[in-house]
Amino acid sequence: MMFLQRILFVVLASLVAFTTLPARAETPDAALAKLLDEAKAAASVPGACAQPGVDRLVRIFCDGKIRVGVREYYPLFGTREGSVRSGYDVDVARGLAKHLGVEPVFTRVNAASRIPLLADDKIDLTIATMGHNAQRDGQVRFIRPHYYQSETIIVGPKGLTIRDWPDVASRTICVTIGNGSNAQIVSHNARLMLFDEAGVLPDRLRDETCTLAAQDDSFFDYYFTDPAFAGSYDRKFGFAQLPWGMAVALSGSDRLARALDLTSQIFHRDGIFLDIAKENRIGLGFLQRQRAVWNRPECNTDTGASNPACVLPPLSSVLEPTPIAAQVAAIEGWIQKHTGIAVQLPMFKTMPAWSLFKAGIINSLVLVAGALVATLLFALILGALQSSRSFLLRWPARAFTVILQSSPVVLTLVISAAVALALFPYSSAVAIGAAIVALGLMNGANAGQAIAEAMHTLRTERGGPPAPITELFGRAVSRSATQIVSFLVNAAKGTPIASFIGAPELLSALTDITSFASGRASTYSLLLVFYVCVVIVVVWLCDKLRVWLERRQMVTA
Amino acid sequence: MSRISPDFVPQLLAGMVVNFQIAAIALLIGLAVGGLLTLAKLAGGVRGAVARTLIGLMRAAPTFVVMFFLLNIIPSDATLFGIPVAPSGIMTVALSLVPYAAAYVADNGGEALRQLRDGSPLGALLFVPNVTRAFFVLVMSSSAGAAIGVPEGIAVILREAELMPTLGDKMVLFAIGILCFGITLQAGFALMRLLQRHLGRLALRAR
Repeated sequence: MMFLQRILFVVLASLVAFTTLPARAETPDAALAKLLDEAKAAASVPGACAQPGVDRLVRIFCDGKIRVGVREYYPLFGTREGSVRSGYDVDVARGLAKHLGVEPVFTRVNAASRIPLLADDKIDLTIATMGHNAQRDGQVRFIRPHYYQSETIIVGPKGLTIRDWPDVASRTICVTIGNGSNAQIVSHNARLMLFDEAGVLPDRLRDETCTLAAQDDSFFDYYFTDPAFAGSYDRKFGFAQLPWGMAVALSGSDRLARALDLTSQIFHRDGIFLDIAKENRIGLGFLQRQRAVWNRPECNTDTGASNPACVLPPLSSVLEPTPIAAQVAAIEGWIQKHTGIAVQLPMFKTMPAWSLFKAGIINSLVLVAGALVATLLFALILGALQSSRSFLLRWPARAFTVILQSSPVVLTLVISAAVALALFPYSSAVAIGAAIVALGLMNGANAGQAIAEAMHTLRTERGGPPAPITELFGRAVSRSATQIVSFLVNAAKGTPIASFIGAPELLSALTDITSFASGRASTYSLLLVFYVCVVIVVVWLCDKLRVWLERRQMVTA
Repeated sequence: MSRISPDFVPQLLAGMVVNFQIAAIALLIGLAVGGLLTLAKLAGGVRGAVARTLIGLMRAAPTFVVMFFLLNIIPSDATLFGIPVAPSGIMTVALSLVPYAAAYVADNGGEALRQLRDGSPLGALLFVPNVTRAFFVLVMSSSAGAAIGVPEGIAVILREAELMPTLGDKMVLFAIGILCFGITLQAGFALMRLLQRHLGRLALRAR
């Protein structure tokens, strides 16, 4: 009985083990061969090629050609000179077509047309430097594994030591508007200088307008083939990796997509992508890593392309919307419908933009208040020093005032920031503090000079025995009220320039927002209105101060 | 000092020429716009009220914000009747200084005309040194162009400073910049005072 029970247990255990073990996986080569044979067989059935809705792989065998959308001006990836096409994307297309046993037929595509041409069945496949993000998954079927990967790199002069994010804080980086990685740069306290086209960045590096530039490594690969450029500049570090995907249409392309998935696997595993990349002198790091991945036993199977351990996820590029995003969009639509003006308010639609906007307004108001207080304070101190009867106090104060008057506003601000950063590590508060000190000193020095001049006139007018200094100084302040007010208004007007040293005030915040969102015109219009309103309020308040000071002068006269 | 590149000073001087160029353009346009606003303001009525409002707004507009506003609302391929009208970087900075220049000219122009009507040509002539003073303020303010990549003097200093390893080296560089701008500015003010005295003598002689 015991013996029978043991036999039964062994049989059951064997059965369980047999049913739970995975079926022996096919190699991608075998799966592809089977799939191509089926498609070729389907294509050879009389009348099958004329059938509507035939799978694109079958139709490719019917026609003996595959229609591929490629770029015509993306150096090293897809270029055309006369009838000669070259580049990594073009050679990948040729390699795939050869593997399928058909001819490639190329069509010019660009960033805007590559997806619509697939949907309109004008091309079968697009290989056109297209990043794979989650948003595009709803528009096309991406081939996995990805055939390349780009990342944003920071490029700068070789002599400049930049290793990681802490080294770029408070520096200016030239970028292109709309680049998805701008938000990441902003989050590391770097300032952005925006350009419409990536093509100008190398020129701006060469003419030294930009010390650092950020753009896709695939873009800079071409420039690094120039010995002069490569001799002067290097890649500092990279971030924001984005896998590039070949893509087919969402419908009618199941077999084609599967065949391309398998081919892509084989190309990685056998180093075919790597060889094509070497021929085209583009970066090899990603392809070398992928070759190792696709040689792993768990990936080198017919199901490898759907194995999350082997394939890369798409980039999640959707920014979290604000709770009022829908209402803001409705207001934008209403304005456009009734006025024809396309107003866009990106600062109210996504959480990162909304956070930057709120912080920008608060920081701007702090900056204005701080600049006003600092101006008044420095005016009184420098005014008192310049009015002193001791030349040891008077002349240094005068010399300091002349130096401040001789320094352009941006330079004073930069000097203040340089000193602040030598004393403290970079932070928003340090940048705002440095700006307040610089603006206060610049305007306070001039207002202080006016106080000293008023003091001089009062002393001359009075003659006779010296009056109590405090009383005389008070009257000098009252007499120079107009000048003090004028420089207070100047200080308030000057606060936006604090963005130059990385103070996160509203101009800086909106520049950051427009670097990754749309609506530049309406955003900067809003900014102008904000600052004009702030200055008008300051003018009104300062006018009250002037009237009070002048009345005080009349009372004490 | 040995770390400063040998072509820094020539580049700085060339950059300062750009500062003067920007200030000159801004002042010329400011004189035209400010002159028209002065006449409108003196005309009174609705025109006067509109002019006063415009002058007030121009006075309140921060140059740096106006510069970014212009930079971002005018498309780089903007055309008017088929002619490209997108301003260059230098022109953008100059245009951003126009509100200040025009408001200043309108304020001082109105005052000069009032002095002239009151029979004080000497008081009216103060307009000249006042405008010269505005010109130097514009020269200093044109350094804002560094923020949008205009190769003016401060941009030259800042890009050289980026390559300086220590604060001390940077300070030497900044001091050279202040010296260059300071000498120019103070020489300008000295010339302005001479001009003011000369014009005063002429005005008194004409009486």
